[in-house]
Amino acid sequence: MVRFLGLGLLLLGLLLFPLAVELPYPQHVMILIFLYAMMGLAWNIIGGYAGQVSLGDATYFGIGAYTTAILLRELNLSPWVGMALGALNAVVVSLVLGYPCFRVRGHYFAIATIALNEIVATIFTNWDFVGGAVGIYVPILPESFVNLQFHRSKAPYYYIALGMLILVILLNLWLSRSRLGYYFRAIRANQDAARALGIDITRYKLIAYALTAAITSLGGSFYAMYVLYIDPTSVFAFSISLLVVLVAVLGGVGTVAGPILGSVILISLSEGTRVLLGGTGRALDVAIYGLLVMAISVLQPQGLVAWFRALRQPKAREAKVGRAPS
Amino acid sequence: MTAELLIQVVVSGLLIGFVFALISVGLTLIFGVMDIVNFAHGEFLMLAMFTAFWLYALFGVDPLFSVLACGPLLFLVGVLTHKLLIKHILNAPMLAQIFCTFGLSVFLKSLAQFLWGPNFRSVTEPLLGGRIELFGVFFGLPQVTAALGAVAATGAVYLLIYRTELGRALQATSEDRQTAALMGIDTEKMFTLAWGIGAGCVGVAGALLAMFYYIYPEVGTIFALTSYVVVALGGFGSVTGALVGGLIIGLVQVVSGFFSPAFKMVVVYLVYLAVILIRPQGLFGRW
Amino acid sequence: MEGPLLELKKVSKRFGGLWANREVSFKVFSGEVLGLIGPNGAGKTTLFNVITGFLRPDSGQILFAGQDITGWPPDKVCRAGIARTFQLVRVFRGLSVFENVLIGALLRNPKPKAAAELTRQLIELTGLRPWAEELVDGLPIAVKKRVELARALATGPKLLLLDEVMAGLNPKERQEAVELVRRLKSELKVTVLMVEHVMEVLMPLSDRVVVLDFGVKIAEGRPEEVVKDPEVIKAYLGERYAAGFGSLGGL
Repeated sequence: MVRFLGLGLLLLGLLLFPLAVELPYPQHVMILIFLYAMMGLAWNIIGGYAGQVSLGDATYFGIGAYTTAILLRELNLSPWVGMALGALNAVVVSLVLGYPCFRVRGHYFAIATIALNEIVATIFTNWDFVGGAVGIYVPILPESFVNLQFHRSKAPYYYIALGMLILVILLNLWLSRSRLGYYFRAIRANQDAARALGIDITRYKLIAYALTAAITSLGGSFYAMYVLYIDPTSVFAFSISLLVVLVAVLGGVGTVAGPILGSVILISLSEGTRVLLGGTGRALDVAIYGLLVMAISVLQPQGLVAWFRALRQPKAREAKVGRAPS
Repeated sequence: MTAELLIQVVVSGLLIGFVFALISVGLTLIFGVMDIVNFAHGEFLMLAMFTAFWLYALFGVDPLFSVLACGPLLFLVGVLTHKLLIKHILNAPMLAQIFCTFGLSVFLKSLAQFLWGPNFRSVTEPLLGGRIELFGVFFGLPQVTAALGAVAATGAVYLLIYRTELGRALQATSEDRQTAALMGIDTEKMFTLAWGIGAGCVGVAGALLAMFYYIYPEVGTIFALTSYVVVALGGFGSVTGALVGGLIIGLVQVVSGFFSPAFKMVVVYLVYLAVILIRPQGLFGRW
Repeated sequence: MEGPLLELKKVSKRFGGLWANREVSFKVFSGEVLGLIGPNGAGKTTLFNVITGFLRPDSGQILFAGQDITGWPPDKVCRAGIARTFQLVRVFRGLSVFENVLIGALLRNPKPKAAAELTRQLIELTGLRPWAEELVDGLPIAVKKRVELARALATGPKLLLLDEVMAGLNPKERQEAVELVRRLKSELKVTVLMVEHVMEVLMPLSDRVVVLDFGVKIAEGRPEEVVKDPEVIKAYLGERYAAGFGSLGGL
């Protein structure tokens, strides 16, 4: 009961935040936190639940961004439709990559995701239609929810990002109780045992990856409409793939709270070092990320959430959904 | 395409291919013995290249001689990596293992960027500069020297693995860790050696590359990705595979670079996907 | 008698130069418990892996309920109605006992609610209620084996392959396991093919027994007959004893 109350208060606080703090920069930081929390939760599906390490999710971020921007520019298509189509593109690409890779061992997939990231970035950098290395400006439209553009304040973007995050949280919660989610976790725990229980592991890995790709691309579409200018370096950057993974891993792979916690910490760290140290600070925060990832993998692969749980209830079993009545 | 052009392309491909081979031998050795992919392999290379650069810039030591410094230095780095990190995740799930070396890669790359900035450096006047004529075509002498150096180093590693007692112990450990231990082989020592030699290979390769390649924090990534492809093609764990694969990929890269410089890496990655699709165990792979 | 539930026709599997299974043929009939025995290295687990699709046979056929399932992948084999346990227990770590069994139940009960209901029943049947909420990770081996069994049962199989369920159990636990297998047959009407080393357990439980040695079937029949078969005695105890012993000791 206390938990619900706490969550309710948190939600209220978040809803009121832009009204209380009207400065654009804090709102921008919150938007980034929501965006990365959402993408971290997306990564969680393939990485946390299904246990396949993807290191190139920027691919889908960029696909979402470009699809939305191009469709708007060429066909005057609503960004919301563009978002949906971007997600569709992302799904197709993920299936094409996943299919050969999921039949073999995990390392292959991890490397392939990096390779794919590079391939797609190279293609877009050399493709005139999408502006090549220069990128494209998203057409400016009158401010409205339908157009997904707002010029006077960041607050609407804030609420949309929050809304998207909440939807993804709900999706993750649903997954944790559903057959799909259980099958993902079985695959991660022991592939052969999963197969012996009738689970077609390739099929489910593909589904997990497609979900991750789709949600990540939604993040990219949002980003395009938020920043209104995109180029290969900014949307296909390896640092995006990296940050998404870190957010999930630091916070806690396979949990819902983990990526959110991870996002709060890492975005704050990132913005903090950027503000304090200026340009060169960028590399330093990434260096710290690297150290964190190494430390986590060696000391506590379950992420920070597991640490907190251990602190709160040292002897208790992990809280599980879908259990038998006592 | 004229005969001259053909020779130029093929020989260039082989020259760089030998360097790829050396880098990949290191990677495949680590994987073979420990079943771990070193995602920081490219950064080890980058460290070696920077070491060679600084020895040149500060003390005027030519990269060719820096090989003697970089090899052992990276050997040490490899040993440290194992002792401080890898040892603790030997039995961890694959997720944790991937993240560990991945984190190291990120850390080293950004540390280099923080310390030395993102700018490109190069050794402007290498000792063996200029060009050499082979088969009627001119090639850069540094490239040829690097290739020869790579061949020598690869050959040395090959001899070590297949003709010495130590090499046999390494092979045994890579086949079956537990049985090797039962037979009295000190597996901890084997692991440490695998990392040491694996990194040492890259150390030598880095110094050789420094003779003619641009040196910058991100340089490791491209070579690492290429070596993953080489190892997949040759077969994870196979030294012969790394050699053959290196040459093939060297050729592929130069030939596609000839037709489309922008997309040459794309072709290499497509080779990777093809390998997974058609023959995941690679040419000489164990499984 | 109706046709066999499972039929192996000259199934062969080799690894390099070694024949793990060589032209093994036998039938398993609906409702029976068939024991599969043989000295270590006889090829029993390999045969299981071949039947359940983890390995492809080099030659031969496997027919299940009249259908040719040779070379089918493991998940397809399970959906057809064959479930198995593993020699080295493979429970899903990080998940509770309940969740482990639930994952099995989800095969034929996609809706989590229905699956949960079946899971509760199976947990009762297999006596796992005391541990239902606990993570499998820290549980004793006997409990883990039961979890694997319950999980396999949850997929609603017609044929259950048990791979050395008794290994690592103490006598009391063995007794409980024997009871469980008996109940599988009588209450759930599941046909069982079990690999076992522990003779005191296998012989009383089995309706019939098949004996493998060096990958080849050397005997088949009722337990009382098989223990007297000289070939079987020779396989277990060596040539010298075959002549002297009337039957395998103690039975």
